[in-house]
Amino acid sequence: MAQEATRRVVLAGAVSLPLVATGCSKGIGGLGTPPSPLPDVTILRDAIAGETLMISRYGAVMTAVPDQAGSLRPLLDQHREHLARLRARLVEPDAGRAPEHSPSASASSPEAQVPGTPAAARRYLRHAEQAAAQTLLTALTAAPPSLAQLLASIAASEASHALLLSPHRRGG
Amino acid sequence: MSASPSPTAAVRALQAALAAEHAAVYGYGVAGAHLAGARQRAAARDWTAHQAARDTLAAMITALGAQPVEAATAYRLPFPVRNGAAAVMLAALLEDRVAAAYLGLVALGDARLRAFGARAVRAAALRAVGWRDRSLAFPGLELPAPEPAASAPGSASPSPGGTAGG
Repeated sequence: MAQEATRRVVLAGAVSLPLVATGCSKGIGGLGTPPSPLPDVTILRDAIAGETLMISRYGAVMTAVPDQAGSLRPLLDQHREHLARLRARLVEPDAGRAPEHSPSASASSPEAQVPGTPAAARRYLRHAEQAAAQTLLTALTAAPPSLAQLLASIAASEASHALLLSPHRRGG
Repeated sequence: MSASPSPTAAVRALQAALAAEHAAVYGYGVAGAHLAGARQRAAARDWTAHQAARDTLAAMITALGAQPVEAATAYRLPFPVRNGAAAVMLAALLEDRVAAAYLGLVALGDARLRAFGARAVRAAALRAVGWRDRSLAFPGLELPAPEPAASAPGSASPSPGGTAGG
């Protein structure tokens, strides 16, 4: 919690982010606006599901290839940070109250077969990270400004994970 | 009330990114002088990337009818850089600050600028990994404190320094 507060202070203090009023409040033609969920809630839910899935993938790989667990744990921890930050934004009774320890939520279990060799496992996670980052980069175009910034940051973090998981990385 | 805020906001965000790129170009020049071998080549490569980004941003700002900000004549380094280890830390820090600046573009309404900013945040984060050998959970949003020279807590950013003669 205190860590969270510190980051927010850092964000507010060190980065002058020109937040802009996006032009999406022009509801002039609001005759037949359907009662669909707000787009940012949908984007947030999708991002939360994506992070939950990544966490379960790491868990599965670390179980299948235990000798990789040490090097993967820092990346897993960062995914947990992503998830916590995203969840903190979702003001919703059910999702907000979801128990902390539900690594394999029903909607997000990893693919059936998790690679059993270190190289294959890292490749599997690398591809998953790349895909997750790309998904966020696509999603953020429709998100409100501050959520877009969070998604861009998480996407950059996940792209960084993919780089760290690349086979040429060690010893470089 | 909001007649035409977008051009100004876009220019402001672009100028902030440009200022960060100016600082990075300067900082990599300092860092490269203290590196050798593969690390020096990496610094030269990243230096070139920042020069290209600087020129791109300047062109974008000009295209919006504004005058691109110029580089400061000198920048105060966040900590003394006298060896390779400090140079590596400086490079990582420069990338953190570039990432933070580009996040400003991600807050804009213009989808193209948003995507441009997001890609630039990613590129900076990847370069930072090359220097730091680890990832950050929130590139651009969290700015880790510089590790060497713990004696300089308040000056974590290259900022425009003295103008004439110091």
